[in-house]
Amino acid sequence: MSRPRLFLWHRAVRSEIVLSGLVWLVILFFIVYPVAFLVLDSFRIANTGQLGFHNYKAFFSDLYYLNTFLRTCLLSGLVLLVTTALSLPLAYILARYKLRGMTFFTALTLLPIVLPAYAGAFAWVVFFGRFGTFNLLLMRWGLISKPLNLLGFPGLVLMQSLHLLPFMVLSLMAAYSSIDPALEEAAEVEGASGIRRFLTITLPLSTPSYFAGAVLVFLWPFTDWLTPLIFGVTDLLPTIAYINIAYHFTDVTRRYMGIVSVVIASLVCVGSFLLLKTWIERKRYTGLSKGTLLGGRTIRPRLAIRIISYLYVVFISMLILIIPVVLALSGFSRRWVLTPLPRYWTLENFQLIFTEAGRLVYNSFRFSGVALLMGVFFGLLMAYLLARTKAPGRAGLEFVNSLMLVFPGVAVGVAFLRAFWYGHGIPLATHWIIMPLALFVRRLPYFLRMAYAAYQQLDPSLEEAAEVAGAGKLRTFMTISIPLLLKGIFVGIIMFFIMAFQEISTAIFLYRGGWETLPIGLYLNWHRGMEFGIASAMAFLMVCVVFILLIIAARIGGGILKVAWGASGRD
Amino acid sequence: MSFVEVQDLVKHFRTKYGVVTAVDHVSFGIDKGELVTLLGPSGCGKTTTLRCIAGLERPDSGDVLIEGRPMFGQGFVPPSRRNIGMVFQNYAVWPHMTVAANVAYGLKIARVPRALRMQRVREVLELVGLAGLEERYPAQLSGGQQQRVALARALVRQPKVLLLDEPLSNLDAKLREKMRFEIRRIVKQLGITAVYVTHDQAEAMVLSDRIAVMESGRIVQMGSPKEIYHRPATRFVADFIGTTNILEGRVEQVNKEQGLVSVITEIGRTLCRLPNPIPVPTDTSVCLSVRPEDVEVLTHCSELQTNTYQGRVVERAYLGHLLYLFISVGGTQLRVQCHPRLQVEEGQEVYVYLDPERCVILTS
Repeated sequence: MSRPRLFLWHRAVRSEIVLSGLVWLVILFFIVYPVAFLVLDSFRIANTGQLGFHNYKAFFSDLYYLNTFLRTCLLSGLVLLVTTALSLPLAYILARYKLRGMTFFTALTLLPIVLPAYAGAFAWVVFFGRFGTFNLLLMRWGLISKPLNLLGFPGLVLMQSLHLLPFMVLSLMAAYSSIDPALEEAAEVEGASGIRRFLTITLPLSTPSYFAGAVLVFLWPFTDWLTPLIFGVTDLLPTIAYINIAYHFTDVTRRYMGIVSVVIASLVCVGSFLLLKTWIERKRYTGLSKGTLLGGRTIRPRLAIRIISYLYVVFISMLILIIPVVLALSGFSRRWVLTPLPRYWTLENFQLIFTEAGRLVYNSFRFSGVALLMGVFFGLLMAYLLARTKAPGRAGLEFVNSLMLVFPGVAVGVAFLRAFWYGHGIPLATHWIIMPLALFVRRLPYFLRMAYAAYQQLDPSLEEAAEVAGAGKLRTFMTISIPLLLKGIFVGIIMFFIMAFQEISTAIFLYRGGWETLPIGLYLNWHRGMEFGIASAMAFLMVCVVFILLIIAARIGGGILKVAWGASGRD
Repeated sequence: MSFVEVQDLVKHFRTKYGVVTAVDHVSFGIDKGELVTLLGPSGCGKTTTLRCIAGLERPDSGDVLIEGRPMFGQGFVPPSRRNIGMVFQNYAVWPHMTVAANVAYGLKIARVPRALRMQRVREVLELVGLAGLEERYPAQLSGGQQQRVALARALVRQPKVLLLDEPLSNLDAKLREKMRFEIRRIVKQLGITAVYVTHDQAEAMVLSDRIAVMESGRIVQMGSPKEIYHRPATRFVADFIGTTNILEGRVEQVNKEQGLVSVITEIGRTLCRLPNPIPVPTDTSVCLSVRPEDVEVLTHCSELQTNTYQGRVVERAYLGHLLYLFISVGGTQLRVQCHPRLQVEEGQEVYVYLDPERCVILTS
């Protein structure tokens, strides 16, 4: 070891450096460059083209924008509060109580993870809107005389909380069930019973996982522009960014305010994520007790608690089930207004989708498919580099990957639009390939997480045995690693596809005539003429596709799914 | 009545493969201040028995009485109301609390005033040798120190009963040996009644006033370490505690006046002391147990006397403090321990003598 540097030029290691360089090239070109472009843009002074803090000063001195920022913070805080309140007991019930049918309810409560947020928002507008089913029923039963406004800001808080519930529930369930049962038993022996034990032992030990979930919940209102728009709330950071950039791009001031909004929203997301990361590193309780049983403690509760638990779980499930049911009702009917249930049933919405809007379905599958090919190729490469090599820059790769999970889709969209537009960037945005490229960049983490998780569970000695037997690195990878990773890869492919298929935040900035995908078509139908029937039918179609894929994924690798989802984000 | 009474305890577990009887009609008593060990291989029900005493497991039938008070029979008494201390196998030291907070936890719940609490914590930490580490977090402690925290936490409330569930199994061999003596010292110093669970027979021998040997959910023998070692009741006990030579055979003759039994075994006629409690009728098949250290090796022998047999050294291992031999007697191999300075070579013809007093008849 007198000349350790020489070791770097060993053949195998050199190939690793080449591969790692290739991956970094892609990251530089498709992530670092556009994001840097966007950030630089936000400092550009409108008329002179020079750089400076002028835009930021203007943003924070304009009461309207300042208010927007503060309201977004308020929304985040409230959503976090509601999500926490709902999920603390829900996760406890699902993780700890031995009750019949809990697997089913767990699956149901986790469903919103893959349901697009806008699908839920549509369904809620139909059901809880001013003249929606809920209000009409209450009026018919004489409980209220005038319809209640259940949308707006409070409705938004509830909708977003419901959408984010699974992340919190998953994080907390993981925490509850990874606590060594002996830690709680010890407290019981020491005289602490029930609620005291929960407050002094279980809850403090769950905090790292809780905060991992909490950050995802907190940053969601900084990335979700569409749900507020559907609910009629526009003074929020991502929504204002979308409106300013999509509709007022020629108005220089509004354009720059839009860009500043995007950058600030991204900063909040990345900042809170980094804060969490450093905090969790300091506060890691795991690896303390040896030989723990997996699965934590399970309890068979008393009858009264059992009944309350069931009622609670059913209540949450109902809120979630409203989404697909209402979308189906609305999609299969015509002119559903002012009645609790539709009057006329029809298939024409679906016929319209396939005859006149068949291109949208085709585009959705084409763009997601091409993105998937890129994702699998680079995802496997990155998973290999991360899990099996000592290639330089691995920590950086992992960092960029997890950062992309929390980076707002709006920001990626605007960054791509600015960076790949002709005139001032590399003109990629004129070709349809920009659509799958954007999907690939945004959704890669979903595939990579699965592939990486699978890789970590694979015993390296299996691969080493192949190498000892004379197989080269590539041959070992193809004949040993891939077949053994197949389950994880497959689940990763499905998750990637689900997430790419429903992507709208980035695509909405990049599409041009003829490139519309199903989510974009859905949005446009809602936006243009309140074509709720067709929009609902599209949303229902999406939910069906997603649901079928999800069932396949769960069938193949429920275990891996959970491992990889323990603490991850999405938009 | 004993201080702690375990009465006819039965506990089943439902597993994927069907119902398993973990504890099968177990009864025993523990006197005040006594240290009793439940010893047995994994899956013998020792931990489940201990957890029933703690109240962490509820038996299907039977009861546990502490100071005469039933813990299950007249309504379930939860662990938090039993005033017990427990040391868990993986310590279960709370990672989010300092050493002092861990130890003080139970006192806080019992509403012990702050000044007294601090004093008690200090005393008990001193007792287990952790003075000065009060403000450390468990992650900053070694395994052995965490172990001591767990012990301190279990002792600080001066519980009626101390339960220890394989507390030393996660420590390295050297430390384990040291801690055996230390735990015994502390428990005896405080005069506390304790139940100790282990699968390590050496640990049980060092620590216990009495040992209960368990096999598949039952107690097969209970007695002092000496009794268990020298008068094992069954083949399982003889085999599990230490090493032994088992000779199968048939009772030929019982001489009640001399108190001797002659048994025809694989190696010939062997005389042994008639065991007191068990009647051995003629012509029943029995097993004899002879400890390796109870076999005497003679290099010369003028005439073959009773219980002396001719054999050949098959294998020889020099361990420093003793010499370990495998001696083949008529095709049966005997393990023999003898003095390291005995001059024998592999293949050498020798004679072995089995003291009738040391041959134990086992019920099979």
